[in-house]
Amino acid sequence: MTALAALWLALGPATAQTGSVQDLLQDQGDLIEQSSRRTIQPAIDAIVASGLERVQPVLQAWQNKALWRDAEGRFWRVIERDGAEILVDVDTGEETGPANTDAMEQIKPNSGIRALIGTALVQFQLTDPEPRRRREALVSITRDPEPELLAPLRASIETEEDADLRARKIRLERLLTMRFGTAEAERVSAIEALSTDTAVEVRAALNPLLATRLEVVPAGATPEGNVARALSPGGERLSMGAAYARLVEEGLAPARPDNSDIRAALEANREAGRVGGVPLGALGDPAVRARAYDALAARGTVPPRVEDGDVEAALGAHDFFGVYVEPSSAVTDAARAAITSIGLRVGAMKGVDIGLDALSLASIYFLAAIGLAVTFGVMGVINMAHGEFIMMGAYTAYLVQQIVPDRTLSLIAALPAAFVVTFAAGVAMERLVIRHLYHRPLETLLATFGISIALQQLAKIIFGTQARPLTAPDWLGGAWILNDVVGISYIRIAIFVLALMFLGFFLFLMKRTRLGLETRAVTQNPGMAGSVGIDPGRVNMLTFGLGSGIAGIAGVAIGLYAKVTSEMGADYIVQSFMTVVVGGVGNIWGTLAGAAMIGGLQKGIEVLNPSNTLAAQTYMIVAVIIFIQFRPRGIIALRGRAAGD
Amino acid sequence: MTGSFLKRNPSVPIMLGALLLVTFLVSILSEAAGGGLSTSFVKTLGMTLCLALAALAMDLVWGYAGILSLGNIAFFALGGYMIGMWLMTARTENIVAESLAGSVIPPTPAEIRDAVGGQIFGVVGSSDFPPIWSLSSSLWAQLALVVLVPSLLALVFGWLAFRSRVTGVYLSILTQAMTLALALYLFQNDSGLRGNNGLSGLQNLPGQGDVPQAQVALWFLWGSAVALGLGYVLCAWVVSGKFGAILRGIRDNEARVRFLGYPVEGFKLAVFTLSAAITGIAGALYYPQAGIVNPAEMMPIASIYLAVWVAIGGRGRLYGAVIGAIVVSLVSSFFTSGQLPDLDLGPLRIVWVDWWLVFLGLSFVAVTLFAPRGLGGLVDLWTHRRRPSRHGADLGPDRGSFREEEAEA
Amino acid sequence: MSTLLEVSGVSVSFDGFRAINNLSFRMGAAELRAVIGPNGAGKTTFMDIVTGKTRPDKGTIRWGEKGLSLLGLSEARIAREGVGRKFQKPTVFEDQTVQSNLIVSLKNRRGPFAALFYRPGQGDIARVEALAEKIGLTAHLARKAGELSHGQKQWLEIGMLLAQEPRLLLVDEPAAGMTLEEREKTTDILVEAAKTRAVVVVEHDMEFVRRLNCRVTVLHEGSVLAEGSLDHVTSNPDVIDVYLGR
Repeated sequence: MTALAALWLALGPATAQTGSVQDLLQDQGDLIEQSSRRTIQPAIDAIVASGLERVQPVLQAWQNKALWRDAEGRFWRVIERDGAEILVDVDTGEETGPANTDAMEQIKPNSGIRALIGTALVQFQLTDPEPRRRREALVSITRDPEPELLAPLRASIETEEDADLRARKIRLERLLTMRFGTAEAERVSAIEALSTDTAVEVRAALNPLLATRLEVVPAGATPEGNVARALSPGGERLSMGAAYARLVEEGLAPARPDNSDIRAALEANREAGRVGGVPLGALGDPAVRARAYDALAARGTVPPRVEDGDVEAALGAHDFFGVYVEPSSAVTDAARAAITSIGLRVGAMKGVDIGLDALSLASIYFLAAIGLAVTFGVMGVINMAHGEFIMMGAYTAYLVQQIVPDRTLSLIAALPAAFVVTFAAGVAMERLVIRHLYHRPLETLLATFGISIALQQLAKIIFGTQARPLTAPDWLGGAWILNDVVGISYIRIAIFVLALMFLGFFLFLMKRTRLGLETRAVTQNPGMAGSVGIDPGRVNMLTFGLGSGIAGIAGVAIGLYAKVTSEMGADYIVQSFMTVVVGGVGNIWGTLAGAAMIGGLQKGIEVLNPSNTLAAQTYMIVAVIIFIQFRPRGIIALRGRAAGD
Repeated sequence: MTGSFLKRNPSVPIMLGALLLVTFLVSILSEAAGGGLSTSFVKTLGMTLCLALAALAMDLVWGYAGILSLGNIAFFALGGYMIGMWLMTARTENIVAESLAGSVIPPTPAEIRDAVGGQIFGVVGSSDFPPIWSLSSSLWAQLALVVLVPSLLALVFGWLAFRSRVTGVYLSILTQAMTLALALYLFQNDSGLRGNNGLSGLQNLPGQGDVPQAQVALWFLWGSAVALGLGYVLCAWVVSGKFGAILRGIRDNEARVRFLGYPVEGFKLAVFTLSAAITGIAGALYYPQAGIVNPAEMMPIASIYLAVWVAIGGRGRLYGAVIGAIVVSLVSSFFTSGQLPDLDLGPLRIVWVDWWLVFLGLSFVAVTLFAPRGLGGLVDLWTHRRRPSRHGADLGPDRGSFREEEAEA
Repeated sequence: MSTLLEVSGVSVSFDGFRAINNLSFRMGAAELRAVIGPNGAGKTTFMDIVTGKTRPDKGTIRWGEKGLSLLGLSEARIAREGVGRKFQKPTVFEDQTVQSNLIVSLKNRRGPFAALFYRPGQGDIARVEALAEKIGLTAHLARKAGELSHGQKQWLEIGMLLAQEPRLLLVDEPAAGMTLEEREKTTDILVEAAKTRAVVVVEHDMEFVRRLNCRVTVLHEGSVLAEGSLDHVTSNPDVIDVYLGR
């Protein structure tokens, strides 16, 4: 394979342009016609090495089974146009008229040969005038790196004008050099040059350099080769079983029959209800069973048992080493250093990524909880049906989407529609139920739970149990990808922005509007508020409607990000309440802090145990319960008499 | 607080008598005795009695101590899990021993254990017994755990919660969170309790494979009735003495109890733990009749059902909890059995199996709003119990205190 | 006269507002004391601090002959040490009978298990009857406390405190909302109680204080403004300033 690279370098472009493609093909005609994977390489090499201008289309034709040989043995390309087959001269590229393919022989390369031709073609593509083709070539090399591609790749860097492609080529050249380079120094420098690159393909290319095999030597000896580390059986990297299996493999220790082997051997060697002198019925006792087997072994019918002590002795008589498959220690050292350095960078970026994830989770909890913060925090009313208001909002958006086909328009219409629907539902609930249960929060909890059951079941009856899709507009479909590690979907960004907007809206409403002033007055002293002309009933009704309306809008956001089901609200209700409780009741900043804490905690725990989001939620809840021990009134707590001590 | 036990608790003989009568009638009318009552109905009845026992325990904390615990369903399921561990292990051991008995070479104890482990934990891709199953071969150990595990959970959680003076709605949310945390934990495959598969096949008693289910159902009905009877007497004894008076004091006016020198946290912890123990026993009797226990039993909706039964029956009276649980549970299984024909209202078709939950939810709202005494109010009509005239004031400042309508003059 | 309670240099503030400011106060073992002061003077907060409901920012509270520090003890523990507290609003167990209210309050072991196995003996019943006699509720023993009149509830609460056998009684505005006769009876009960124990009465009503005929402490802005007989403090110019405004 390196012959090709040498040829390429030796011949260079200067030697091109002599001779014709037809002559070239005729020289290799026998090999081409023979079409054998084993013998074809010299023919391809010769064709490529000629440096002739028309070689590329001929190779492509060959690869696509469009190369034909006529009765005189001349090669032609055949193209098909409008159902007619046309002969094309291999040298001039001119169409010479219709082809009589019946009188011609098609060259049919098998898939192995086509792959070889493909590799040869890549070098043409690397210098193709079309940037798109060059990019494709790079992708193909990345996917399927071969040593012989290194030379053409290197040669193509010089003439590359596109800055982006040039950077890619340089990185790819390093990746190939790292693996296939001939000189140790060039490989090491390629590795060092890549040690700040966090791309997945770099990491994927570095790891194989550090592959090791397990070597066994007599105790005290050192193995040959590039030793990675000494291994002790039973340690973290090498189990006792694996170490012993290696000894058996090397013929250094006898195989150890396991329980099922022993059982099978006993079953096979029974005679007249006895085996090894022991009646079959007594074999339920492990000690008796061992005695019977040993008797068989003594007769030489079966391999002897290997006791734990023998295993330990055998292991003790040998030392185990991990030896790099890569012989050069300079290369493996450089690769280790590079992996460590990349690992640190990837770790830092993962931290950023988790931070973004936590932020978006916190935004969702904040959106889900902000309505509760209004009803529970401001009015002291606990609303177990809050989750169902979220669900109502999501179903409203789903219905709007059925009517308005344009995704963007339907989303814009869905937000106010969801608000109106849930606002109305909230006001109705306040008037019909909650109004009669003020100062009875536990009864409110139970009554609103009854409503929650009814609403959930109604949704199931109306919309069925399967999840309804709420499709985001295309401009929200993608993700903002910073690099291979850090990325966040646009929907999550949108939810974050929505959460910020709600925070602003809420602050404006509470601090700057009449309703906010009245709400605060009623919260602090309903009697006094009543006597200065504020109607507490009206304020409570509006506040509750507002909290429910916000839940509806949160439902649209959550529906975009998750599926719309009748149970979606129930999934968020406990977390939402914990957000409010942890944050501290009666304070929007507390809710924000609570959402940040719960979101951060959950993501943080997921990092420690990434395979298991269920466990993460469990530990998160336990952490919250313990947190409540230390700050029973939440992160941002009201103190003193106002807190109702 | 003075006077004999029966004088203080006139409902005890009535309840025990009714229980005895029902059990006797069902027994002679059951399939096992050649009667016409189907086995599934006997089972439903037995399960209902267990639910009534759980509701009784709920009434202890919610009706008497004013703690709206949404964690009782967790204790219920834990009781089921504990007995389920023994049922599964013992029965699988029998099956494995039977299947290996035919083999040429008798199995060693280790082989049996491995085979049992493979049978039980195969569904979660494991074959080893997790450490928490180390006592599962022993009936007595698991029976002790039925009481100990829920009690210990209640003790630890209660100590944390009561110590930091979490009360009212906060406490309810926290108990709900505890239940959710436990459910989510058990949903994992590596929780050691078979993940979302839960424990199944519990209706088959080990070593009693020849006994027909009709007979087993009857045994469990008797067991449930005995447990409910004993639980009722125990609860009546607890709430009718000074302990009960203090519980009610805590419910209506915690500060007064505190300033009288009573360690309120200790009382709450005691009643919460007692409630957990009773609920665990109820669960241990319920799930062998249901046949399967899994983490879905503990989802938020389930935990509030207990409170719903107590509220519908009328809280703060033991018979209320029992009546509430029995009525709601039986009516519920009637509506969801599919025996009731659909109701055609023109554009709307009421399929009872679907609509039942809607009506249950709404009727629950109605009870809370209009009949705080629940079904117990009907008993009051009969016993001429008057309610006090307090002009809409509750009986104390605390969140769980009795409302005017709930109290007796 | 031996000292039962000694509060010294106590301060507490809520969100920057100083409710109690370097307050010092001393009570003898058998003494009747009235604490007066305008709204917001810190009277209730003072009681909260002594009974353990509110933890002071600084200062010490010594109790009894051994000088036990009450800081950091739970409310229940302080109550068991012998501090009884009557709230401003009548606070009784309204769902229970008068008799039950009194039995629960009787000095007995307070643990949950003791309560579980407790049965009222002859002595307990007799004590309850004696107390009911003292507070004038003998005829109402079997009635639910919630049905009593406002004044009767106040007496019941005082009766419950007496049943607790405290060494110090803190009484918050006992006469509020009472008729004239009820006030007289309340005065009698308190004066009688103070013969064997310390009683602190927080009161607004000067007439009532005058009838108690005891030493008076005037609180203002969280600290002691004046102390002495009622005539003495009412002639103090600072007190007049505070009450009449500047």
